[in-house]
Amino acid sequence: MIKIENLEKIYRTDEVQTKALNNVSLEVAEGEFVAIMGPSGCGKSTLLNILGLLDEPDGGSFTFAGTEVAHAPERRRAALRKQHIGFVFQSFNLIDELTVAENVELPLIYLGVGAAERQAKVTRVLEKMQVMHRRNHFPQQLSGGQQQRVAVARAVVNSPRLILADEPTGNLDSSNGNEVMELLTELNEAGTTVIMVTHSEHDARYAHRVIRLLDGQVVLEHARA
Amino acid sequence: MFKNYFLVAYRNLVRHKGFSFLNIAGLALGLTACLLIGLFVYDELQFDKFLPAGERVYRIYTEQTSKETPETYSPVSPMYATTLKQEFPEVEQTARILMNPTTNLLVVGDKKIYVKDGLLVDSTFFGVFPLAFKYGSAAGALDAPTSIVLTEDVATSFFGPENPVGKEVKIDTTGFVVKGVLRNDLSKFHLKVNYLVPLAAAQLPAARMKRWGWHQFFTYARLRPGADAAQTQAKLQRYIVEQVKPTMKDEEMNDKPFLQPLRDIHLYSATFKYDLTVKGNITYVKALSFIAAFILLIAVFNFVNLATAKSMQRAKEVGIRKTIGASRQQLMLQFLSETVLLTLVSVLLATLLTALLLPALNAFTGKTMTFDLLRNPALLGILVVLTVVVGLLAGFYPALVLSSFQPVKVLKSAVVTDGIFGRVQWLRHGLIVVQFALSVFLIICAIVVFRQVSYLHNKDLGFNREQIMFFPMRGDNMSRHYETFKNELRQVPGVVSASIGYGFPGDQVAGDGIIVPTNGEQKNYGVTQLMVDYDYLNTLGLQLVAGRDFSPDLKTDKDQAFIINETAVKELGFGTPEQALGRIMKWQVWSDQNPDSLKVGKVIGVVKDFHYKSLYDKLEPAVLQIFPPAYWKVAVKLKGDNVGSSVEGVKQVWGRFNPESPIEYRFLDDNFDEMYKAEDKLKTLLWTFTGIAIFVGCLGLFGLATYAAERRKKEIGIRKVLGASVPTIVALLSKEFLLLVLVAAVIAFPAAWLAMSRWLQDFAYRIDMPLWAFGAAGLLAAVVAFLTVGYQAVRAATANPVTNLRAE
Ligand SMILES: Nc1ncnc2c1ncn2[C@@H]1O[C@H](COP(=O)(O)OP(=O)(O)OP(=O)(O)O)[C@@H](O)[C@H]1O
Ligand SMILES: [Mg+2]
Repeated sequence: MIKIENLEKIYRTDEVQTKALNNVSLEVAEGEFVAIMGPSGCGKSTLLNILGLLDEPDGGSFTFAGTEVAHAPERRRAALRKQHIGFVFQSFNLIDELTVAENVELPLIYLGVGAAERQAKVTRVLEKMQVMHRRNHFPQQLSGGQQQRVAVARAVVNSPRLILADEPTGNLDSSNGNEVMELLTELNEAGTTVIMVTHSEHDARYAHRVIRLLDGQVVLEHARA
Repeated sequence: MFKNYFLVAYRNLVRHKGFSFLNIAGLALGLTACLLIGLFVYDELQFDKFLPAGERVYRIYTEQTSKETPETYSPVSPMYATTLKQEFPEVEQTARILMNPTTNLLVVGDKKIYVKDGLLVDSTFFGVFPLAFKYGSAAGALDAPTSIVLTEDVATSFFGPENPVGKEVKIDTTGFVVKGVLRNDLSKFHLKVNYLVPLAAAQLPAARMKRWGWHQFFTYARLRPGADAAQTQAKLQRYIVEQVKPTMKDEEMNDKPFLQPLRDIHLYSATFKYDLTVKGNITYVKALSFIAAFILLIAVFNFVNLATAKSMQRAKEVGIRKTIGASRQQLMLQFLSETVLLTLVSVLLATLLTALLLPALNAFTGKTMTFDLLRNPALLGILVVLTVVVGLLAGFYPALVLSSFQPVKVLKSAVVTDGIFGRVQWLRHGLIVVQFALSVFLIICAIVVFRQVSYLHNKDLGFNREQIMFFPMRGDNMSRHYETFKNELRQVPGVVSASIGYGFPGDQVAGDGIIVPTNGEQKNYGVTQLMVDYDYLNTLGLQLVAGRDFSPDLKTDKDQAFIINETAVKELGFGTPEQALGRIMKWQVWSDQNPDSLKVGKVIGVVKDFHYKSLYDKLEPAVLQIFPPAYWKVAVKLKGDNVGSSVEGVKQVWGRFNPESPIEYRFLDDNFDEMYKAEDKLKTLLWTFTGIAIFVGCLGLFGLATYAAERRKKEIGIRKVLGASVPTIVALLSKEFLLLVLVAAVIAFPAAWLAMSRWLQDFAYRIDMPLWAFGAAGLLAAVVAFLTVGYQAVRAATANPVTNLRAE
């Protein structure tokens, strides 16, 4: 499903030039659950952002579902994002002005889904994430665990083929963290590809495969222990 | 989709109430000012547009080329109309109006009312000005010398609602027959009119009507379709030079005639002398239009500024929406619909405010403007267009900026740093400087105008203007027995003295020549002629600097004596007041029978200069003399207490001499206050605009300060964690803005200096430019700016640093 070859990303500031990704090659098949690990600053988030079409690489190729997208125009990236990719962030990133239900509904609106169908889908996913009773609350009125569940709900509401999660449990205690990991596993079992960045060996155990990065390079790939 | 946009927009609006309020209030206020000014300007532009074929009507006015700076006169010789009609085939019709600014007593049965603005006109009047009749018709309405045409208001006050055509109206004692009643919609006519009487009724001597030197008629000509006014004007100017001037023997002829389009009269006659039209002023109309456009621009700019500043806080929302897959177009549409919504609220508010404030504006301008959206679809259209255009204009920039955010960047930190905002900073700052420059400029103007206006009202005029009752004599009995009348007035308890004459301060004065024999030469000087009696000086409290007052005991004082003012001493070349005494002067007596007779007399006294005209006019040389044939006005000096009963006493004396007409009096100081009405209005206007400018300027600054505080939130948090005190941080944030105000002041000072010097120039008597006004304006602007910025700065400085740092 995802194939990257010799991917490079260089950040240039006035004086320094940081090679955040250096010759990264990687393949992820449909239905896989992959964890990316590595020390801070090794380029995990950078890689994830490129995989999520939020950022452009400086070199190398990136094939997404059979098409080259490394330098696709913003319009096409937005279209691909809303159709195929769901994001979960460490800091939840919910829109404060929208209620739980409205947050979750948003991707469907951008997809142009009809109102009745939106209602049905939102209800279904909120129930699944066990935040249905909170549907009319605003994000700030929820606990961190609940917020992350809403974020996951929003990521999966349009049944994306790929879920990208950047330290999804980073701001959660262990029991809430485990819940989120369970959710991701369930989704993966239902057929969704999951790529997750994490610092936690415990979380990484949920994945089929672990990719270790160091200084912008893949140093090790191994299947789940 | 739009539902979602508006939902977010609405929640944002409610969540940040103060901010939304400021943003909406600023735009609404700007729009209101704009709408009100727009209504006023539109109204001003409508004058005489209602007259059919008005585009072919011209007024003839002249420039008098004899003076150093040519002066423009509205009234011209009666011969212009005669000539145009006879010698100029392209002229279809002409009409004259006699310049006759007196108030007359109209009598119907028992009803007696003083009516102003009665016009003596050619019978062709309605041929040139086809006004609408309510009763009767224009055809032949002014043919008979005894015809009178009334306006609806005047007709109603005498006859009620019934049709008065055919009934009699007396002007004083002369009978006239009502031939028609004009409809009431004359508010856009450049002439003030209450009734019209044919010129024939005045029975002007035929010889006088042939004089080119008698400038007494407002003259209009309607050209045939297709005629070229510029050509006609050139032809007329040639005609005067080639045909008229050579025939003039004694009289000088300095006329240079011009044709003024009818529809220009209202706005383009500000400097015309002896003009009786309802005057507007194109300079004010232009300045106001400019101010309106400027206010709207600033309001929109501030709106953008605030919205952009606000958008910084929404960077995260944008990032999330983009991550989820919102396209740039969708985001722009969202933010545009938000500003359109805000604009809509502002426009609605502005509409409401305009409707509420219009009566006050009407009272202030004396207009009857309406703001009826239902009956005026064009206005409604303008409002809709305004909403969309301002909304799009104001929303476009923030939408552009916001939608360009990179999700990776904005999601990484809660606060956006620089990027595109940095690049437009000079523009942002530039506009703030312009706004504050405008505020400082207006504050200075307001102070200067305020000072000059109080100077005008309070300056020592060289005579005593308090408690002087002032009125014209009426009826033959009174004029013929003016001496007895005066004596009886003097008997009234509470009356200090009384003077009868022509040429009182604040009233009309006559200008005429005086001949001074100097070294065997007869020199003719233009002077003000004040026709006075023996009580003039003491009634007005004038001071003699040399010689003596007129005395009834000296026979020669009536026919062989003059008193002059100090300016006359200088201008007539007499040296000192003492040297002036005894000098011979000759005056061509005002007399229809004996136009060549000369009054020869000596200067017996010199009075200290006193301001008999407004302080706009430089004091002119004035000659005072006893000349009973010109006596017309009465000034009665009352004691300070019991004014009411003194006035009653004067009224009783009046009744004994003229039981027919009621007395119509004013107080002399009111005349003076009235002269400065325009300045009083300017003062009010300036205060208002200054207020608006300061408010709007603060809003802009507030937006900028909010933006800056927002941008530096994290920096401030860290500084505080490291131990910075609140005052240091407030100073850090305020410094830059105070600098902006300083720059604004530097721009505003010379501009205000120039503008106010020029304005003051119009007054012959004026205050010195008050330098402190500049300091005060700068200080005020700085204080206001500091308070505005300081609020944001203090808020930012006192915020808990942990919250800002944790936002990551
Ligand atoms: N916008 C940027 N400008 C310059 N350098 C950047 C930028 N973003 C990241 N970097 C650099 O690129 C490298 C990789 O950063 P990245 O955020 O991918 O690390 P990470 O592995 O996600 O670290 P962490 O575990 O701490 O989140 C780092 O050295 C970082 O300093
Ligand atoms: Mg990271």
